[in-house]
Amino acid sequence: MSEKRALALHPQDNLAVAAQDIAAGDPVRVVYKDGATQQIKAVEAVPFGFKIALADIAQGAELLKYGQVIGCASRPITAGQQIHVHNAQGQRA
Amino acid sequence: MSFLGYPRPDGSYGTRNYVLVLPGGLVSSKICQFVDGVRTIITPDYGGGRTQRDRQTVARVLVGLGRNPNVAGVILHGLHPAMQYPELKPAVLAQQIAASGKPVEVITAQPFRDTYEVLVRGIKAARRLVCEASHVRRQETGDEHLCLGVKCGVSDSTSGIAGNPAVGYLYDQVVAAGGTAMFGETTEIIGAEHLLAQRAASPEVAQRILAVSHDIEEKSKGYGQDIRTVNPIPANIEAGITTLEEKSLGAIAKAGSTPIQGVLAYGERPAGKGLYFVDNWMSMNSIFLGYAASGANLTLMVWGGGGYVADTILYPSLGVVAPLLWTTGNVNTYRACEESMDFCAGTVIDGSETLGQAGDRLLALVRQVASGSFTKTDTLSFQEANKVYFQDAAF
Repeated sequence: MSEKRALALHPQDNLAVAAQDIAAGDPVRVVYKDGATQQIKAVEAVPFGFKIALADIAQGAELLKYGQVIGCASRPITAGQQIHVHNAQGQRA
Repeated sequence: MSFLGYPRPDGSYGTRNYVLVLPGGLVSSKICQFVDGVRTIITPDYGGGRTQRDRQTVARVLVGLGRNPNVAGVILHGLHPAMQYPELKPAVLAQQIAASGKPVEVITAQPFRDTYEVLVRGIKAARRLVCEASHVRRQETGDEHLCLGVKCGVSDSTSGIAGNPAVGYLYDQVVAAGGTAMFGETTEIIGAEHLLAQRAASPEVAQRILAVSHDIEEKSKGYGQDIRTVNPIPANIEAGITTLEEKSLGAIAKAGSTPIQGVLAYGERPAGKGLYFVDNWMSMNSIFLGYAASGANLTLMVWGGGGYVADTILYPSLGVVAPLLWTTGNVNTYRACEESMDFCAGTVIDGSETLGQAGDRLLALVRQVASGSFTKTDTLSFQEANKVYFQDAAF
């Protein structure tokens, strides 16, 4: 249960990128570009480079990375869960 | 002084000093085997059975490769039947290449002369031109004579936060010094095109960026395809990229932050210096050839890879005459194929380097390669086939 790092790329983002492999239950220090940090708890494993939710996200709500919309939640997501194709989808076809 | 380049009559500087024989095919390949220092293109895309628009693209690629600063002299022959289309006639291509002031020799303009005779004459001409090229000496010059092209491949989420931003930093430095930098991959700006349009140097350029992005999305729909089933590719998804928008937002980081001066067609030469968007296809077999035809004297690949190694990492330059420098933002990928990767920006993610520090390291490496240092894949003799980016159906 050692503390892991994740990178938030924009202050408005509701997700961060794992800077190392994160295991279920790990405390995660989320580091913003300006050096600010916040701590969350991973509720499931998030491999290096994959996305972790920073807040609860309702089904259909927008996902923000780089301060931009990268898609929406295809099912409800809770803070600390991994975000990927199983619970998120793009909006461009 | 930033690098040592080969001065050319048109004022450009080469990072390499090749003789080029065109078009590709058996005779040209044999000339390359016989004479050291000669390059040719390997592709079935001669232009036969193609629309006029697509044949013009082939012509643009052949002329552009010939005019590339890394080429000291050019040999043309007309042995392939496609070379009899008006826009592909050897004399027509030769005239356009010769406008750059470099020596151009047309071995035969005829389609079906004796192949063996053309081979012998080609070998003799190549030996003569290689000797002539060897008299050119590298001279000190500046970053304003760098002309770069970039592609990101098998992107993972390190690409958008380390690999591509490091190239973006490099591009900002080169553009600030008066150089030229190109990026492209039209399907991979979908979802980020509004951000690029905001950076256009004029309203016309902004409109053009939005138009090419819209067109490729509509083209995909016209074929009954959901572009999301084409891109992101499975390897992207396995490596943590979820949506096309996410991939695009990471991809445009390689364009840095300077204004976009124009939108170029595949193989089109930029009218001026600065940052250009090229409306091209993401395939590595196609994109680097296009950049070289647009005048790139050095190209970069930003590999994500998700830590796994593909044999494509061993592809040498697909720009035929423009060296290819392999970079990654993923430390796991770098460790897995260090003997093939030239640069790693993964330090930005683990916090051991700032983006500026990693970017400065990349700029120094680019200047070294531009001065003649080999990239790791420069040591390989394998030549992968190229594909010309066509717009129309085959007939």
